Amino acid sequence: MILKLSLEGLKRKQRDYFILFTGLIVSIAVFYMFLTLALNKEFITGNSVINHIQLVFIVGIVLLSVITFFYLYYTNAFLLSLRKKEFGMYELIGAKKKQIKQVFLLETMLIAAAALGAGIFLGALLSWLVSSLLAAQLNVEFIAFKVFYGPAAFWTMVYFLAVAYAVSFINNRKLAKASINDLLKAEVKHDPLPSKPKNSALMIFSGIVLLGIGYVALFFMEILRFIGLFAAPAATTLGTYLLFASLLPIIVRKWKRNKKMNFRGLNSFTLAQLSFRLNELKWVLATIAMLIALSAGAIAGGFAFKNNAVLSVDEERLYDAALYNPGDAEEEVLETIALEERLSYRFKMDEEFVYYVEDELAANPPLIVDWVSYETKRPGPFPDNLKIDEDGYQNLGDQWTMALETINPAFSTLGRHRIVSAETFEQVEAEEITIVLARSDKFSRYIEQWQELDRLQLQDGARLYIPMDLEYESLYSKYSTFESQYAFASGTFFMGFFLGLAFLTMMASILMFKILSGANSDIRRYDSLRKLGVRKKALEASISKEIFIVFLFPALLGLLHVFVGMRMFTFVIIDPYYRLWISLLIFLAIYGSYYFFTVHLYRKLVLPKG
Amino acid sequence: MTAILNVKNISKTYGTKGANAYTAIRNLSFTMEKGEFIGIMGPSGSGKTTLLNTIATLDSVTEGEIIIGGTSLSAMNEEQLSDFRSQQLGFIFQDFNLLENMSVFENIALPLSLRNTAVPRISATVQQASTLLGISGILEKFPAEISGGQKQRTAIARALVHNPALLLADEPTGALDSTNAAILMETLSDLNKEQKVSVLMVTHDPLSASYCSRLLFIKDGEIDQELHASNSREQFYKEILEVLAGTNERVIAGEAR
Repeated sequence: MILKLSLEGLKRKQRDYFILFTGLIVSIAVFYMFLTLALNKEFITGNSVINHIQLVFIVGIVLLSVITFFYLYYTNAFLLSLRKKEFGMYELIGAKKKQIKQVFLLETMLIAAAALGAGIFLGALLSWLVSSLLAAQLNVEFIAFKVFYGPAAFWTMVYFLAVAYAVSFINNRKLAKASINDLLKAEVKHDPLPSKPKNSALMIFSGIVLLGIGYVALFFMEILRFIGLFAAPAATTLGTYLLFASLLPIIVRKWKRNKKMNFRGLNSFTLAQLSFRLNELKWVLATIAMLIALSAGAIAGGFAFKNNAVLSVDEERLYDAALYNPGDAEEEVLETIALEERLSYRFKMDEEFVYYVEDELAANPPLIVDWVSYETKRPGPFPDNLKIDEDGYQNLGDQWTMALETINPAFSTLGRHRIVSAETFEQVEAEEITIVLARSDKFSRYIEQWQELDRLQLQDGARLYIPMDLEYESLYSKYSTFESQYAFASGTFFMGFFLGLAFLTMMASILMFKILSGANSDIRRYDSLRKLGVRKKALEASISKEIFIVFLFPALLGLLHVFVGMRMFTFVIIDPYYRLWISLLIFLAIYGSYYFFTVHLYRKLVLPKG
Repeated sequence: MTAILNVKNISKTYGTKGANAYTAIRNLSFTMEKGEFIGIMGPSGSGKTTLLNTIATLDSVTEGEIIIGGTSLSAMNEEQLSDFRSQQLGFIFQDFNLLENMSVFENIALPLSLRNTAVPRISATVQQASTLLGISGILEKFPAEISGGQKQRTAIARALVHNPALLLADEPTGALDSTNAAILMETLSDLNKEQKVSVLMVTHDPLSASYCSRLLFIKDGEIDQELHASNSREQFYKEILEVLAGTNERVIAGEAR
């Protein structure tokens, strides 16, 4: 009987349940998406890069599980807040607490089960979308990546059902403690008065000091190393919590003190709402600031790593291609590239030496990097008339040794070099090989062409005169170096992106639910304001403003963490701030849509209809 | 005397026409002069709250017209109605409807800040209204910290602070004990007599009703009877009780309809 009543009640509050349901589906989809990636055995073992960073996945799963737990806890509390009055009524007509608890548990499990079906489907869809988008973007194929993966679906179900049971158990205990009167009057509950700040000056001071220590540790990570690795997260986290707890109430109080601002339009109401809201949410907001830092940092880190492949290869190799005896096919490709420099040299190779022509080299010295000053320059004159010592080594000097490596990368480790006059060169009995060095305005702009040139060169392996087995070794070209580094970076990018996305959606959902679960007690307030003659538009604007500020604070501090934190990567990445704006845009797009979604739902919940 | 409120042949039907339709008010008309204190009485379900809601612009009428201070309500859209409420009407509710998260001062000041009145003017007006109602000492307190009587006085101050043309009260003494209820009715009566505030009040309570200058008894959505204040309040109170007793007898005798 009670069950039947309860189902009726469920029907009546369809709209609220729809919100709850959508939130649950999103969280399940994200959880599943993450698990497919982390548990896909064939995929992980097939991608050596990802294989190396499995530890990160385990840490990721633990974090995501914890966040999901709190998420479910909040959604379940929201569910209970929707039903309190009704449950009180059942008790009034004689239903036992035990029966009501059973009904609530059953309801929670039913909703979780239904959401699981839809969530896993959406999760599979999302995995497919994200993986194919990334694959296209990275120009690689994800070997054996299964979008629908049994174990991931299984563990998602196990986890969500277990947590649904646990949170409904916890909330049921709250329900058990509440008297009938509390339940019946749940909707007219008074807010606690805003507490006077205690020791806030001290808290703000220590918060700032701790944040400072954290930032210094992040900034000088390279020097501090182990101490920094420990101090940075600890001090930053603690500082964030302290600042949120002490600073936020003070900021709002300051605003309220400004009478001109407070007594303008609905401001006094908006600020009053905000002051209660921030007080209630300060711990959640601090947590969200940290998660924003983590997720935006993961996405930004991924991007920077990916970019690093191009940067580091550019630094290592000044010429984009070194072509041996290029034919018409190669020339055709070269014509499609805007070349900044094109150099051509000849060499011959016998059993002992690789010969170059002195005049040709002197006339067109190639660019080299000075390993001491890191400057790009051209080598000076040959040293000591290229004397040959007793052991048969020719004294080339550092600069020309490097120049020859640049000119003839594949041969730099083979045999000894000889720079000789044109006459001597003619007399060497060996085949003459031409080598063409090409430098474009930007390596990354012509990736496809470099790839094609490599292919053409490899097609006729004999032309390369390199004594190595090309089945096992790759061509020592700039492109091949780039390719291997890029693969590594792409793996990191993929992971960072996935992790960041999962965290971001999850924590934005938490914030959304935390706000929405308080909506019930606000309905009366907005109704009073409407009766007092406040326009609907003004009420809507008040809600937008209030929620905007709630969303704004964690975003500001979280992003500041990212800005400072990215510096930490300087000792592995050349430019960690590369295209930070893309990561920021992704972050803003997701976070922003959650903001608008929250405002929309909140308005639907609290504003009087009609 | 000028009419502040003109209710002309209004009807209010809920639901679609047919079996489900329910008519709360039928062809009801009355006029209220400026400075009058009218009470509306009637049994539950008689339509008195519906009547108040339509005058309060919170609900629309199905037929007829309501004119407040020369303005017809039916000609206005939702936004204009909001503005009209915030400028021309003051509200007192049974459950006070104070905003719990704002101080007494902020609650009273709200109608003024909604019109973007300058801060010095707000301070002066709130001070004046709160002194008038004897709550100037609790302005910094929050609603949860003050008594029911003080809450209702705050609500009255908020309803009056912007000099509305008409003060609407829905069971203002409903949540108060008899002492506080009497003090509140004295206050309302004084405001009516001294400040010439026009008051329209819905009430169940014959004692509260005895403070009015005129009473409308509503039954089944129509005005059943009208009573004017007599020489003394005590006398008026007795007359009200007689009318109510008469209504009850009629109900018992089965001629309610």
